[in-house]
Amino acid sequence: MDADQIRAHLDPIRHEFADPRSLVMPALKFAQTEKGHLTREDMAAVAEATGYSPSFVESVASFYDRLYTRPVGNRVVSVCITLSCMLRGSDEVWEALCEHEGVDHHHGGTSADGRITIQEAQCLGYCDRGACIQVDAEETQGPFTPEEAVKLVEELREAPTPAELWR
Amino acid sequence: MAEYAPVDLTVENQVEFELDGRKVTAPAGTMLADACYAHGVEIPIFCYEPRLGPPIGACRMCLVEVEGMRGLQTACSTPVAPDMVVRTTTDAVKEAQDGVLEVLLANHPLDCPVCDKGGECPLQDRTFKFGPGQSRFVEPKRHHPKPLELSDRIALDRERCIACFRCVRFSQEVAQDGELTMQARGALSEITTFSGDAYAGRFSGNVIDLCPVGALTSIPYRFVSRPWDVQNTPSICGLCPVGCNTELTVREGRTKRVTGRPDPNSAVEEGWLCDTGRWAYDASWSDDRITGAIVREATGDRVAGLEDAVDAAAALLRGRTVGILAGTGATVEEAGIAADLAAGALPGAIVARMGIPGGALAGLRALPGAQLGDIDDADVVVVVGGDPAAQQPIVELRLRKARRFGATVTGCGPRPHLIESLGAFTRTVPGALADGVAAVAQAIAGATLPVVLWDEADLAAEPAAAAALADAIAANDAARQIELGADVNGSGLRALGLPTADLVLDAVREGRVDALLLVHAEPLDAPGRTAWAAALQDFAGPVVAIATHPTATTERADLVLPALTMWEQDGTLVSMNGRVQRLRPGARGPEGAAAGWELLVALAHRLGAPPPYRTAAAAFRAVTAGHAAFAGITSDTAGILGVPLAAPAQVDGASAPAPAQGEGLPLVATREVYGGTHARRSASLASTAAEAAARIAPATAEAQWVRDGDRIVLRSPAGDSGLLTVRVEEGWPEGAVFAPLGAPGAPTEGALPPDMAPVLVQVVRVEAG
Repeated sequence: MDADQIRAHLDPIRHEFADPRSLVMPALKFAQTEKGHLTREDMAAVAEATGYSPSFVESVASFYDRLYTRPVGNRVVSVCITLSCMLRGSDEVWEALCEHEGVDHHHGGTSADGRITIQEAQCLGYCDRGACIQVDAEETQGPFTPEEAVKLVEELREAPTPAELWR
Repeated sequence: MAEYAPVDLTVENQVEFELDGRKVTAPAGTMLADACYAHGVEIPIFCYEPRLGPPIGACRMCLVEVEGMRGLQTACSTPVAPDMVVRTTTDAVKEAQDGVLEVLLANHPLDCPVCDKGGECPLQDRTFKFGPGQSRFVEPKRHHPKPLELSDRIALDRERCIACFRCVRFSQEVAQDGELTMQARGALSEITTFSGDAYAGRFSGNVIDLCPVGALTSIPYRFVSRPWDVQNTPSICGLCPVGCNTELTVREGRTKRVTGRPDPNSAVEEGWLCDTGRWAYDASWSDDRITGAIVREATGDRVAGLEDAVDAAAALLRGRTVGILAGTGATVEEAGIAADLAAGALPGAIVARMGIPGGALAGLRALPGAQLGDIDDADVVVVVGGDPAAQQPIVELRLRKARRFGATVTGCGPRPHLIESLGAFTRTVPGALADGVAAVAQAIAGATLPVVLWDEADLAAEPAAAAALADAIAANDAARQIELGADVNGSGLRALGLPTADLVLDAVREGRVDALLLVHAEPLDAPGRTAWAAALQDFAGPVVAIATHPTATTERADLVLPALTMWEQDGTLVSMNGRVQRLRPGARGPEGAAAGWELLVALAHRLGAPPPYRTAAAAFRAVTAGHAAFAGITSDTAGILGVPLAAPAQVDGASAPAPAQGEGLPLVATREVYGGTHARRSASLASTAAEAAARIAPATAEAQWVRDGDRIVLRSPAGDSGLLTVRVEEGWPEGAVFAPLGAPGAPTEGALPPDMAPVLVQVVRVEAG
């Protein structure tokens, strides 16, 4: 994605942000819609479009869990591992998903076919519906048993990829 | 680093408050941490550094109890207030300090025995003084592959980092290169550049001085020494005319490191150094350093001992009429003793200085001067000509700071440079700087406290502009000026009253001298080298050179006496705006070399006229006596921080330059940021080497029939330049050629006249690119 595309996206919403630094966030979210993650070039383009240094833009991107600076799968499945969900069995959900997708049990990761990424999430605010799962940082659902979670992931694997995750 | 801001307890408007049961005062607005330090109470700090801008309170180390305020307060960001009751030694404060240090040390590897910072580490010192005796942390610590090379010269040990943000704030706020940031969160936070690129700042080394732990260390100094094995010597940097105050770390007779002073000189560099000044010291032991006297004989070169060589020099010069040239980097002592030779040991000698005559600058130099520190208070800063970011690097940080404080930065000049991004700059046509001066005169007139920085070389070449600028500054009573000098000790040589080198050049041409003594002077590598080469071609007399590194000039000399570099010798330099500062010997220098002033004193002894001094300090007193500029200044009064000259350093009677000679395009001399004799010889700075390129704008290049990569010669009435590579680049003004001074082999200097008067050049293509 180049700086002009990002500028075109920012211009209509610029007035909503009192501090121009805040524009870095929507710019990064928009830049991420193209490949699903942010490349060096994307971040340089955001820097050019917002007027901040590439290094600063990268520091913002690295701070947030849902801005990816490395390639991720087509769908990103975040499993809440905070206390409430853990008491309701999120450990088993996590284990089952990692097992099913064949990814590292400590850090999660992306399945071999590149379609699903499993990652940990801290509290998603769905404590009343633990163990909960968030898909693509958009929709949070729960409660899940390990079997239901695996079924959800299988459905996601077949479902069409949303062309624009954030818009 | 002196981490606390200096507090003046004598000024009006003091606030009284209670500190640990004592009634004390501090000026209103002083931060508690500084005020406490001024009253002998050390509040431990890590992130606080007043030079980096407003405090951020990131490390929580400075917590103190303030009566009436809920919870503990950070002393670094709490200003003193009337009748405040502050307690720094209560149990609550002690517990907080223990707690904060325990957290900071949770992931810190405690590898002090192998850490370069060990022994001079604020974290180590403050843990001993304020920390808990033991850690309760038993879990495994954070580990990273180490070290990470942040650049060729800076190593980053990430696990040692305590996330104080000092380096990030330096990069973002002070140098404003935008390179360093903190990435990720929490325990995974780390200092890094964009995508892990090399840190490319021109002031990057300052983060090493700033780091309060051993996370950022100097690669050339890595594992070289421990703080208790070294001597630290306060000295100054002699690479450019700014004269930044430095501290030399010396071990086993060699300068192993150059850092900013622990107590910065706020009038000059404020503790910051440019990367050239910080790392060029290894040039003093470069492979080609002249370590023994070279005697040229019919049978070939012979390396001689010092005693023999000085005897030989005396034999060569005895009874002759000698032309003596003091180079632009010669110290006041060297130039002064050389001038004294004419009065005793070498009667009839003609003594002159290299550098710009500056006949047109008398008016400007007589105006009220300022120190670099005064830029902080200015509301308008005007830069006329020059390229301070490349020639006087630390000025850039001063201007950035002034802009942070709300000053307007403006200016004019014929060449694009990095400081132009700080404000509105007028690009002038080469030779028409007066137009730009007219544009900035308004800014000077309308300001309440303007500081004008003007470039010596550019204004010396254009008397009309210099006169107009002098009028503009004189019209505003509050206006002060700072000369952006071209030469390291140009002011010092002028203050000694030395005339310009054309005196000696003419004498050589006319056969009025029959020997030459060159004191760090390099006429065959300086502007006008073509004229000098022609004059020396038929010169039959002996040439004796005092030098540290081989140049075209030492190649021509019949006898080369090896001298000491600025990291090794005692002496005095006068900065561009007339600040007298002392070089102190850190390293010993090679076995076969001696300080230039000692060589000259020995020569005077051999010639039968021993001078009445034996030390550099006594020599300074003797050679400056009778010069109004040095009235009342001795090595003692100059002290650690230096003093301004008593009167402007100028020589009356120097001729004004001729109008531009020749036909073709105007030649505009530029400087490379890392250019210069020493920077080019430094192994640490090798990766910064720039090619000797002539920069030409696209349309001009087309009109001149040259393309990018062509090899050209610039031909002017003063002579031909050396081979230069053409770089056709957007952004350079059309209708001129921009070529660098100080490149290896001095190519551009060949096309310039000795007095640096403006020239027009023809572009002659030698090889297609």
